[in-house]
Amino acid sequence: MKLNTEIRVNKITDEVWEIPVTEKSGMLVPARIYATSSILQSMDRGVFDQVTNVACLPGIRRHALCMPDGHWGYGFPIGGVAAFDLETGVISPGGVGYDVNCGMRLIRTDLTLEDVQPKLDRLMTELFRRVPAGVGAAGFVRLNRDSFDAVMTRGARWCVEEGYGWHRDLAHIEAGGCIAGADASTVSDHAVGRGINQLGTLGSGNHYLEVQVVSNDRVFDPETAAALGLAGQDQIVVMVHCGSRGFGHQVASDYLKTFEKAMRRYGIAVKDQQLACAPFRSVEGQDYFAAMNCAANTAFANRQVITHQIREAFAAVFGKSAEELGMELVYDVAHNIAKVERYPEGELLVHRKGATRAFGPGSPGLPPLFRQTGQPVICGGSMETGSYLLVGTDRAVRDTFGSTMHGSGRTMSRAQAKKTIRGEQLQQQMKQRGILVKAVSMSGLAEEAGFAYKNISEVVETVDRAGITKKVAELRPIGNIKG
Amino acid sequence: MAHSFRFLDDIALADLAFEAEGDSVEELFRAAPRAVLETLADPASVAATWERRITKTEADPADLLFEWLSDIVYWKDADGVVFHDAELSVRQEGSTWRLEAVLRGASVDQIAQTLHNDVKGITKHLYVVKQEGPRWFARVVVDV
Repeated sequence: MKLNTEIRVNKITDEVWEIPVTEKSGMLVPARIYATSSILQSMDRGVFDQVTNVACLPGIRRHALCMPDGHWGYGFPIGGVAAFDLETGVISPGGVGYDVNCGMRLIRTDLTLEDVQPKLDRLMTELFRRVPAGVGAAGFVRLNRDSFDAVMTRGARWCVEEGYGWHRDLAHIEAGGCIAGADASTVSDHAVGRGINQLGTLGSGNHYLEVQVVSNDRVFDPETAAALGLAGQDQIVVMVHCGSRGFGHQVASDYLKTFEKAMRRYGIAVKDQQLACAPFRSVEGQDYFAAMNCAANTAFANRQVITHQIREAFAAVFGKSAEELGMELVYDVAHNIAKVERYPEGELLVHRKGATRAFGPGSPGLPPLFRQTGQPVICGGSMETGSYLLVGTDRAVRDTFGSTMHGSGRTMSRAQAKKTIRGEQLQQQMKQRGILVKAVSMSGLAEEAGFAYKNISEVVETVDRAGITKKVAELRPIGNIKG
Repeated sequence: MAHSFRFLDDIALADLAFEAEGDSVEELFRAAPRAVLETLADPASVAATWERRITKTEADPADLLFEWLSDIVYWKDADGVVFHDAELSVRQEGSTWRLEAVLRGASVDQIAQTLHNDVKGITKHLYVVKQEGPRWFARVVVDV
């Protein structure tokens, strides 16, 4: 088998591959990659280099992991998962991802394709008008420093109290939409300056808002789907992919600088500057953790305000309230975050970067609402190919620190995608296939063409067969908003 | 050719990368922001109704360039603007390098401007600033 690396990779099962500690000087634990042989062969060299670099970080436990949607990232690979001892281990912005709490949200409706199709153009126009997207876009929520501090510390809870959502939404958000331990005093004025006007905005790049259909033939687990509010029958759902915007990125940038100096003081050497880290229990480590939680809460709030706007748009187009349209939140889950969680080894700091928490049924970390089904996992595909709803498993908790994939993963550079197709051409082609796209930037649209990504179905099959998540339903796009 | 830049196809799969070069440190500092400005929007489509004076000092030109490019990203978000151009001077003062710049642009206008990608940050992945013979050269990976 030809791989994009000289590093030896041993097969454990059809979906799990291991790089032993002997393959790189300094590795403290083996690295494990979840992939079929064909996905493994398509993975870029960065995955192998970076997952083995992560395996060298102080205090790492069991394995450095990479999910099947993995590709090169800053420091950690995208798709990377690593857990660290709280006393001897480190925390790293490169292991969280710079867009802190970039994540996915899924909203159900009682509408069907038959209801929406005749009004799709108007609906997408209304959504495009109400949910700001693209470079420099500002949100409609006006905040001062005090109210932004409240957003940082209370996340989606603040939004609901301000009227942007329903109290019952909070039970359908990871950590109730409000992570404890966020401390606004650990965040720079620079970061606040970048974030204070961006609440309720999508951003650009691979972020999107998508109107999707759940067909009967794409529901793989009807019982779980029903428990989560999906009925099939060409039901309409809405998916949102975005994060903490410039604010989260500035938090990461600020602490990368802090950690570069701290590493010298603590005698930590890393194989890549983007793996800058600090002992979790150090002042610097604790400050970053508190600031990262501020960014995570801001991302929950961002998706909550966007949800409010989506509900308003649907209500305006269909002439019924969002409640009457059944627009309940299915779930909201982070895929760029570090969290303290309990495993057999004790409490560990689990970094997930382009990876989703996937707790199984009965996990003590789950609210009662999901104790039967397991935690919902929302995986976004390219805008042309569709997305998936899955649920976590007990096996994930045992094997991958309760983690799984997050999306499809790029295989082509943005520059190459733009050379292959023009945005206007792609928009037209998608329209002919029944997908209406509204985009701020046509060049940005071309960069997100479906052929620039892995086949998400193959990635989903891998985690399903590996037993770390279970397929529930595939969600087919009919409308997409991009920055 | 006083300065130039080009986008790179073969690194930063999910993001964007560019190389910039100039006949001097100052020319390099003119080339690199042009790449960032063009990543955000076509500068020709952006008026110059917003202006910000920026002064920075660093011991190392590599750190100064990183801070200069990061400032452009900051003002994009803080004031909701995209950019038309930047005028600047860079000089060495003893052991430090000093940048004085005027960044010009306008509030984002999705109708009037040709907008491209939002830039979330300048990264230090594969980041290089170096002198090669008479020319100064930089490679920058931009997180989009």
